Amino acid sequence: MNLKWLQALQGVVTVSIRGERQEELVNEVTRQKIVLSGIRRVGGRELECEVTVGDFFRLRPHLKRTGCRIHVKHRRGLPFWLRKLERRKFFAAGLFLFFAGLYILSSLVWSIEVKGNEKLTKDQIMQAARAEGVYPFQWSFRMKELDAISKHLVAKLPGVSWIGVDRQGTKVTIEVVESTTPPPLPLYSPRHLVASVDAVVTEVKAEKGKPVVAKNRKVKQGDILISGIIGNDGNTKTVVAKGDVLGLVWHVYEIESPLSQKIKVYTGESKTKWHLLLGNRTLQIWGFEKPEFERYESVETQHQLAWRNWTLPLGRVKERLMEVREDVRKLTEEEARETGILEAKAAVLEKAGKDARIVEQNILHEKTENGKVYMKVFFEVEQSIAKERAIVQMQGE
Amino acid sequence: MRSISRKIRKLTADLLDVPQDVVFDLPRMTMIGNRQLYIENHRGVLHFTSDRLRLALSKGELEVGGSELVIRAIWTEEVFIEGQIDHIQLHGQGEGSK
Repeated sequence: MNLKWLQALQGVVTVSIRGERQEELVNEVTRQKIVLSGIRRVGGRELECEVTVGDFFRLRPHLKRTGCRIHVKHRRGLPFWLRKLERRKFFAAGLFLFFAGLYILSSLVWSIEVKGNEKLTKDQIMQAARAEGVYPFQWSFRMKELDAISKHLVAKLPGVSWIGVDRQGTKVTIEVVESTTPPPLPLYSPRHLVASVDAVVTEVKAEKGKPVVAKNRKVKQGDILISGIIGNDGNTKTVVAKGDVLGLVWHVYEIESPLSQKIKVYTGESKTKWHLLLGNRTLQIWGFEKPEFERYESVETQHQLAWRNWTLPLGRVKERLMEVREDVRKLTEEEARETGILEAKAAVLEKAGKDARIVEQNILHEKTENGKVYMKVFFEVEQSIAKERAIVQMQGE
Repeated sequence: MRSISRKIRKLTADLLDVPQDVVFDLPRMTMIGNRQLYIENHRGVLHFTSDRLRLALSKGELEVGGSELVIRAIWTEEVFIEGQIDHIQLHGQGEGSK
């Protein structure tokens, strides 16, 4: 006989009914809406059935009328269980204490984790959190609202842009996002910007300091272009002059360009060598015999075993030796001149800086001698001419 | 007079296609194999032993035979029997229109 949970809650007794007019009792009781369940005949003359505690007491008046007697055989369900518990007070207390302890211990904050801090130390954050009432062995119900805590923490800790406080059970996680501050600017001593070469100024871009020169002014090497001393007489201040000054600079180049040129040519002859690649080492496995040619260039191609993103330290290297021949090519004077000027231009731009621009070029002098073309070429280049010079404070000035 | 009302009831039952048990107060039995028996519209227990159960009906009586019979639950009009049921007999039911 399985008890339904509702019946178990009410308490169920198993009774045996003795008497002559048992069927009459059953009918009468049923009419009174008393529910008897599991009625079974035991030993020929006795009826056994289950009845809830409430119905049991309502059943009793009907017994006399039908001449039956009732005898309780088993008691089951919550009411009886509670009565049993009453007798075992210490057991009940223990049960209660266990659950209470479980609840109390689980409502403590046991550990605090700090994540994401780089500049701030964990101690700093923990101290700030402690001031906000977040520390180990704190009652979690005494803690303030989590978002309020994170707001206060952001206000308290310097250099923090966001803090998230999260509680999961007995563990509090404080996640810190530090704000990124730009690196401190390098310190400069006060300075002038002076001309690095003789030039004619074409443009003055002063960010800081007092521009001393103007456009079209001729300056000599070492002349101050942007002064680091600002203010009128008696009321001066030194600053770090900043800016850029462009000027036209003259460069004169002597060029010699040969009338013949050596060129490397592949003859088409080649030889292949194979190597086994093991980690950082290679081991030759093929093509040991010496090549039949003397001058050659070698080209290596490397194949490594790989699968998806992983590269195995195993592979093969193919080395091709290709024969090279050197040919001499005759150039006309015009061609020699052009290559000479091209080389000179590259040299000028390299010397004058990246932003330099060749404004004008002129061949001043030219002669052909000993299979070479000699030239003197003049370049006018617009380039940056500013150079830094520290201001030295004179004593007694 | 009564037979007239019965005739009218039968007519309505036929006409409206209403189940007979509703109209004539007849027992309705639901049996699951030979293990469970659910009887509606009974009029009380007349006799109960583990191998025989007699139930009163509005007219006549119902006898359930078997072994290890148990009345799982009983309400005023319904009874739920469990056990090994061998036979069911209806006595004194007569003809429906009598």
